[in-house]
Amino acid sequence: MFVGDYMTRHPLTVTPDASIVEVQGIMSENNVRHVPVVERGKRLVGLITRQNLRISPIELSSLNVWEITRLLSGLKVKDVMVRGKDVITATPDTPIEEAARVLVTHRIGCLPVLEEGIVVGIITESDLLTQLTNLLGLQVPGWRATMRVPDRVGEFAKITAAIASKGWGIDAAGSLPTPRKPGYWDVVIKISAATRDELVAVLEQIKGQELVDIRATGP
Amino acid sequence: MQTRFHPLPPILKVENLSISYATRHGEVEAVRQVSFEVNRAMTLGLVGESGCGKTTVAFGILDFLGPNGRIVEGSIKFQGRELVGRSEKELRILRGDQITMVYQDPMQALNPSLTIGEQLAEVLIVHRSIPHAEAWRRSIEMLERVYMPDAPNVMKRYPHQLSGGQQQRVVIAMALLNNPALLIMDEPTTALDVTVEAAVLDLIEELKRDFDTGIIYITHNLGVVARVCDQVAVMYAGELVECAHVKQIFAHPLHPYTQGLMRCVPKLGITKEESRLYPIRGRVPAPQDRPWGACIFAPRCDYATERCRNERPMLQEITPGHSARCFYAGEIDPSAWQPSEEIDLPLPGTQTISEHETVLEVGNLKTYYEQPSRSVFSLFGLGKKKHIKAVDDVSLHVPRGITVGVVGESGCGKSTLAKTIIGLESPTAGVLQFLGFDISMPVTRRDVKLIQQLQMVFQNPDSTMNPAYTVGQQIARPLQRFKTVPPHQVYDEVLRLLQAVRLDPSYYDRFPSQLSGGEKQRVGIARAFASHPELVLCDEPVSALDVSVQAAVLNLLLDIQRRYGTTMLFIAHDLSVVRFFSDMVAVMYLGHIVEFGSAEAIYAPPYHPYTEALLSAVPIPDPDAAQKRIRLEGNVPSALDPPTGCVFHTRCPRRGMLPDRGKVCEVEPPPQRYNTKEHYILCHIPLEELRKMEPVVTSS
Repeated sequence: MFVGDYMTRHPLTVTPDASIVEVQGIMSENNVRHVPVVERGKRLVGLITRQNLRISPIELSSLNVWEITRLLSGLKVKDVMVRGKDVITATPDTPIEEAARVLVTHRIGCLPVLEEGIVVGIITESDLLTQLTNLLGLQVPGWRATMRVPDRVGEFAKITAAIASKGWGIDAAGSLPTPRKPGYWDVVIKISAATRDELVAVLEQIKGQELVDIRATGP
Repeated sequence: MQTRFHPLPPILKVENLSISYATRHGEVEAVRQVSFEVNRAMTLGLVGESGCGKTTVAFGILDFLGPNGRIVEGSIKFQGRELVGRSEKELRILRGDQITMVYQDPMQALNPSLTIGEQLAEVLIVHRSIPHAEAWRRSIEMLERVYMPDAPNVMKRYPHQLSGGQQQRVVIAMALLNNPALLIMDEPTTALDVTVEAAVLDLIEELKRDFDTGIIYITHNLGVVARVCDQVAVMYAGELVECAHVKQIFAHPLHPYTQGLMRCVPKLGITKEESRLYPIRGRVPAPQDRPWGACIFAPRCDYATERCRNERPMLQEITPGHSARCFYAGEIDPSAWQPSEEIDLPLPGTQTISEHETVLEVGNLKTYYEQPSRSVFSLFGLGKKKHIKAVDDVSLHVPRGITVGVVGESGCGKSTLAKTIIGLESPTAGVLQFLGFDISMPVTRRDVKLIQQLQMVFQNPDSTMNPAYTVGQQIARPLQRFKTVPPHQVYDEVLRLLQAVRLDPSYYDRFPSQLSGGEKQRVGIARAFASHPELVLCDEPVSALDVSVQAAVLNLLLDIQRRYGTTMLFIAHDLSVVRFFSDMVAVMYLGHIVEFGSAEAIYAPPYHPYTEALLSAVPIPDPDAAQKRIRLEGNVPSALDPPTGCVFHTRCPRRGMLPDRGKVCEVEPPPQRYNTKEHYILCHIPLEELRKMEPVVTSS
């Protein structure tokens, strides 16, 4: 689970000399919010986001329509972009949770992915959230069961053993400490091989654990 | 399972692209209103006969149209940005190093005077400003990535020191060094052997996944399409006539042209008796002769109506994701199709084979080429002579009226065998008898009557015809030389022969340069059959031709053979063609026949391990067929120094079946094991073991 596996390769890029109007067109037409700015050899020199393209309300109120057009048509990418050293980047071997932390702490939406200064991809909030859905098995139709287990060694193994003894497979699994209930963890597993009743029967028999929720999820 | 909730924008979006060339006849439209999209990690197959505008589309994207070509209308959006209408300098910046192209002939893409390493590293140094040492290291990594054996040493070699397959790997590695978003491949495997082709196709498939590259794959081979493409766009005479997912297009071809193409290719697993090839009548119209207000395929279409001749159909979506440019798409049922009377089909039934009459008898034939030794001793005649054993101990018994197919990779001695029989090479040892006469002397010393009975059809019709003589003169030549007919009848006989190969009398006065490839090959066939030969050797007669022309030429050969009862030796590398065409098949490897038997026996277990590998490499025009995946390592070893024991032991994937990892294969030559009276296999592995193997191809 590294950035290199989930990033978008061959991202759209622009050059520093491109006009703002053109970039706006590219962004809206392709429905992207971030465009790395590169110069010769795909080397990163900056980043354009929708924020960079916005004219501040104060400035806006002081201009008339003609002035706005003139202002925009003269602007180049290099005038408004986030400059090279200020762009926060990742490498293909950054773990995805680390990438997520960087996005959250800096309140930004994307990280250009670099390999020795050369742009090889881009990873965005949406990419990471997509992987969260995969982590919990949203892409496979089946049963999503939540087990509340005590914070003890061997509890997770009980669940996997009970499932494996029936010959079913676990399609996805994830766990978090139970909110507002110290000493417990919530384990979510995704099973597609069993029926609801079969699954409930097995899970309810596990000693010391509680089946909190079971529901069907899928794409 | 990786799905996305928001689809990514396509890498390339081509809309209504029209390209024309300025010629003597005025402006000629080569590509007309073509639209398609290429996404990340997707291969779009661009399919069609030659002259349909496939390569022109690719050149349009790359802006390689040359001084007389121009984009008339339409848009090409690469990575969201419009390419049409920009200056060359702007294009270079936009496209940068993000689009690369791989051509058919790898030798033309490599600089013969620079080492592989210099050429690879240059890509990174120039485009990426990466320091030399680092560029060198990355180049080695990329070579390893494309499974180049001994990559660090290959870096120091020159292109001519590599085999064709290795050269193509270098070209692919070079194309990928920049990590391009779009890769255009123009027939990248057509010039390669079937085993090498299989490995390169596997590689393309893997690289597409790993690098998320969008690929446009141009080819005329439907088998290759079925193996590597996700989406298929069929082009005809500059127009896109059908576009769909590969499975849809093979299961339910909607356009009559696509249906016709599918009927042209021989299917592996169908025998000569039960299979028919149905060529599409007519040929692709030249760009200046294409109608505007009509369906462009109508003149060749069996379903054409008045409407098709007066109105141009638009590309319309018939079922989701499947569009076709035909008024009647979806209504036509290809299974109810009947060949129209205009197509020439071979007469039904088989030719008579008389087992007792032997036409050709080859016994322990050896053809060695002497290799000059570089040693000082040889200057004084003391050095040991080295020999290239091109044909080594081959025995073949060919009864009258039969077709023997000879298959094998290049360098296996197929052509040398043919040349020895025809008399262009002298055999070193062994028996060579034709109709009971000894023919081990070169062709210049053979009797004219013998030459008359032994003719050849060559692979490349271009280089076998004298450009200064008309078609009629070329066909008349053997007639005069062999005195087949009295001099005053020569003209009539030529016309009769032209008619036999389906060319009308107006061709008599044409020059070779005025003929298409298929027509040239027809003339070649007419010339070979002019003297009513007993035996005709065909050396890859159809491999240079388009599928529909190939079907027509194969049908023609079959027909003539049945009519005259001619015996044939048919050399080819395409195993589905050989299966379709031959009664008996000989599989050759390094000068030896390793398996010989009837066509049915060769294509079913027990197999020689080499036959098995060849069969599993054949691209099958059916994306649902299951095929075993056996890939041979390396190249055919040099015949100068063939491996000891079994010549195939260095590459044999089945050696493990023998005790002691096949020690015996390295030491002893393999025994000839007879499966049936007429089917033998040259292998140490017992037949019982070989019989247990699964068939290579199982169609679903």
